[in-house]
Amino acid sequence: MAFIHAAKLAALLGLFSVPAVWGSYAAYELGLYLVYGMVGQGIALCWGRAGFLPLGQALFFGIGAYLAGGALTTFGSGWLVLLPMLVAAILIPALLASLVGALVFERQVGSGPYFSLITLALAMLGFQLANSMEWLTGGFNGLSGIPDLLPGVDRFDGLYYVIVGFLGMTTFGLGYLLRTPFGQLLLAISQNEMRLQLFGFRTGVLKACTFAVSAGVAGLAGALYAPHQGIVTPQAVGFLLSAEFVIWTAVGGRAGLAGPVLGAVAIGFLASGLRDTLPYWEAIVALVFIGVVLQWPTGIAGMIQSGWQLWGPDSRHQPAPMRDIALPMPPRRRTPVLQFEDVTVKVGSATILENLSVSIEPRSINCVIGPNGAGKTSALNAMTGSLPITSGHIRWGQRRLQGLRPYAVSALRVGRKLQVPSIFSGMTIGQNLDIALWANRIGLLERLTMTPYRWRTSVLSALEDRFPFLRDGFRMSGELSVGQRQMLDFALTVASEPELVLLDEPCAGLSVEETGRMTEAISELIAELDATGIVIEHDIDVVERLSDRVHVLHQGQLLASGTMAEIRQDPHVQAVYAGGSKV
Amino acid sequence: MNSKLPELLAVHELSGGYGDIQVVNGISTRVNAGEVVFITGRNGVGKSTIAKLIAGHLPLASGRVMVCDRDVSAIPAHGRRHLGLGYAPQEDVVFSELTVIENLTLSFPSRSLDRYRTLFERFPFLHGRLTQKAGTLSGGEKKVLSFCRAIAENTKLVVLDEPTEGVQPENIATMSAVVRRLTERGRGFLIVEQNLNLIRETANRVHVLDHGRIVFESLNRPGLRDALISRLRL
Amino acid sequence: MPAEIADEGTFRVRIEDGRHVDLLGTYVLNQLYITAILVLVVLGLAVVFGWLGVMNMAHGEFVMLGAYCAYMVQEAGWHPLLSLPLAVVVTGTVGLAVEGSIIRHLYRRPFDTFLATWGLALLLREGVEVIFGRGYKSVDQVLPGTVDVLGIPYPAYRLVLFSAVVLAFVGLFLFYRASTLGARIKAMVTNPVLAEAVGINTTRLAQWTFVFGVSTAGLAGALLAPLVRVEPFMGLDYLLSSFFVLIVGGLGTLEGLLIGSAVIGGVDTVASAILDKSAGYIAVLTVSIFFLWLRPHGLYSRR
Repeated sequence: MAFIHAAKLAALLGLFSVPAVWGSYAAYELGLYLVYGMVGQGIALCWGRAGFLPLGQALFFGIGAYLAGGALTTFGSGWLVLLPMLVAAILIPALLASLVGALVFERQVGSGPYFSLITLALAMLGFQLANSMEWLTGGFNGLSGIPDLLPGVDRFDGLYYVIVGFLGMTTFGLGYLLRTPFGQLLLAISQNEMRLQLFGFRTGVLKACTFAVSAGVAGLAGALYAPHQGIVTPQAVGFLLSAEFVIWTAVGGRAGLAGPVLGAVAIGFLASGLRDTLPYWEAIVALVFIGVVLQWPTGIAGMIQSGWQLWGPDSRHQPAPMRDIALPMPPRRRTPVLQFEDVTVKVGSATILENLSVSIEPRSINCVIGPNGAGKTSALNAMTGSLPITSGHIRWGQRRLQGLRPYAVSALRVGRKLQVPSIFSGMTIGQNLDIALWANRIGLLERLTMTPYRWRTSVLSALEDRFPFLRDGFRMSGELSVGQRQMLDFALTVASEPELVLLDEPCAGLSVEETGRMTEAISELIAELDATGIVIEHDIDVVERLSDRVHVLHQGQLLASGTMAEIRQDPHVQAVYAGGSKV
Repeated sequence: MNSKLPELLAVHELSGGYGDIQVVNGISTRVNAGEVVFITGRNGVGKSTIAKLIAGHLPLASGRVMVCDRDVSAIPAHGRRHLGLGYAPQEDVVFSELTVIENLTLSFPSRSLDRYRTLFERFPFLHGRLTQKAGTLSGGEKKVLSFCRAIAENTKLVVLDEPTEGVQPENIATMSAVVRRLTERGRGFLIVEQNLNLIRETANRVHVLDHGRIVFESLNRPGLRDALISRLRL
Repeated sequence: MPAEIADEGTFRVRIEDGRHVDLLGTYVLNQLYITAILVLVVLGLAVVFGWLGVMNMAHGEFVMLGAYCAYMVQEAGWHPLLSLPLAVVVTGTVGLAVEGSIIRHLYRRPFDTFLATWGLALLLREGVEVIFGRGYKSVDQVLPGTVDVLGIPYPAYRLVLFSAVVLAFVGLFLFYRASTLGARIKAMVTNPVLAEAVGINTTRLAQWTFVFGVSTAGLAGALLAPLVRVEPFMGLDYLLSSFFVLIVGGLGTLEGLLIGSAVIGGVDTVASAILDKSAGYIAVLTVSIFFLWLRPHGLYSRR
């Protein structure tokens, strides 16, 4: 850690010494590439961290540039102008981006290409407006004759230091953001957005905030660009510059904050050096870019890092803070009854659930069995907001569960483990557990502090005793075996301390010994949480050991309900299990 | 086993799974012409993985798959189909965006439905819904559609993965009759299934799978059903 | 550079006839013609993006390659008709190589296809720039002169082009309806595992679908070459218009392609006629953004 900080400081000092060593023209050129690199840092935040790619970043860059250019030409340069100008250049793009992000991300989960196309189209719209609104932007010829940022901060001299200073601020600021719980949640979004919603996180808002931050950084870069170039034309808003930002970020490396700057600087200097001597240089850049996309998704920074790890100290594993803040159990309400009343679910003409009525008593473990395709998982989907129901009601005490988004269901303290182990496989075990501990608990401001990393709960301790591999906090969860993934997924579900625990086939793929441990853990932890449990399970031994009551589903209907002994005697159930007919 | 009947499928020491995770460990079996072999077992023990490995939808970690005395281990799935291996998967069993007709005729040069005439007599609901999108069928109806397509193809060996999942009982009985009739004509079947009635009515042999290995093997005999129920723990 | 691209107004038609212009007739003719041109240009992307799901950001560059084929044929002094087979061969070959080296590895990775084809677009632009230089090339009119349509004089080449597009589109539509090819492509894209299981060689089918798509783009470029300025950056405009048409019309059907072309062409001409060119452009962008946001599956979609 200290080593990394030292490396960053050294890089910053190196940047400060450029004018003295290479002269002021090189520093002038470098300043432009650093400004571009700043925009790339924002793209890396969205794309490398949260997994959605903004393709029209020049829109925000250009807005910042026009704002700064307009302010400087109108009011002249001076300290009085500087501060409001910078604030406007950061806030206006950020507000615009949060609006766009909120509108788009709230409508659709996932990071499909449509968001990227929308941002691209917006950048083009901006370009058109910049061209046509001559009274404001100077049209095609742009705003020219922009004075220096401050009197005495010459663009060929002092401005460079200002740019390096701001770059240092964005690097340290965004770096801090990436290390906070907020940053870790973004990583979780890129890994498994749906699962994060089941922990109660409103991912659309998180993504919109991230997009706003990246737009603010781009606006700031634009505000520095205007006095640096002395002119702002519609190209600063355009499609081509937007695409180049993405290319620089990809080639330099989108995983961190150094990569985009490296990419912008490397390609920038190569371009200015080779443009005149080598006519093919842009084709070479294109080939390198294709190669990066196909083969080296981590870019230059990733290559340097993996090369460094051959010799240098392993920098990936920073010691995480100890979990030394014990959180109390949230106050228990009187756990209500869960009721399905005549629930019917139709998809197309297929009936998934048909007039399903069942009542689940509080603080009991209920096993749901039935042949494949009987509607067991669909019943859970209908509860957690991933399957709209056609008619009927699902009541959890006074509240209705149907029609809610998954994060809203989770906020009602309903926790769910999906059928296929669904963990954040690109994150460590410790990071996975963090997310579960934060579920429905972390405040908005706490997301920006480091304390939540130190949280611990009695449930977590109980889980660690049951499953000792959970203590191996640095291990990547993607390296776990199928059985361990099931256990981790179960641990995550329980660690979020729900009052209604929905477990979909928690023992699938486990060995006999693992099945035994899992069964014990399920009954112990559901008791510890004082929660109601619904477990879908095929292994009848498990059902027998766990269940207070068993519910048998068949073709979307409730076939039988009762204790295991009663179910065993039921001729309908026997018939269904033996041959799929109801007698 | 009658050694004069040609061997349609031979699987030697088959192992494989998803990525680094090995789900199936050293399975061997064979299917002769006119034979129906079942693989059964609890959920999540690797049954479907065996079917996928044989049909060519997962790479083998080790072992060998022979179809009609030809080693197909390195042949892609569509090539195995052309060598006479038909496959109906467990999930995503139809092309939901295509109509029922398109689903049935996709692998033939013409859209003629002649070869389906007898099947339509047995499953009349399909004939009534020919021009609908297959995605509008219920889960069980999709399974029947998938079953019909797999057996109508001019294949010698048919691998079916959970063909009765969600299917109406009367249609399961029909499926059972169709399988028996086709085996009389020399077809071979390898069926992954949990439905004990279907097994009792059609099986020649049954393998019970647990944790990627065959833990129990039996010919179809009286009392098999009870043996399986105790094995499957219900 | 970007300013010129935007101002180029490739799809806009103005017939200045000072004496007596039948405004409504001209308007209808223009609207039909613009729709046809859009259909021609977008068809390739409709196949590659709509069917294969490959967001081909180099689509416009394949149009550009086709246009340069027409220029080469003119420079070589060959018959202009030869530019059509040349464009198909050149873009088809490039498409085959690109599919084999880049696209094949990315069918299930839409983001990466997006970026890799964006890199490919850069490469093709730069490659053409190295060979032909950055400046505009012009390809001579093949059929100069006008023909009277309902009393309105109309350029003959446009009329031929329009008829060719209509005929080709109707032919394609009938072929698509009758053959199982469309069903096979849909099968491959929606359920590749099952498609392999029923004996479809998905690798080869995807390859030839891609090649078909990009060679129609090349063909469109060769046909449009006499009407537009031929230059390395001309593709961008086609790319974006094509995406907008598909977004508005919906993916996967020829009907959607037709509707999308009509809407985009209509919005553009109406707004351009009322205000100016850039208003048309802004109107198209705004409509597309609203579709992306509110109705990402378009007006006419199978979904």
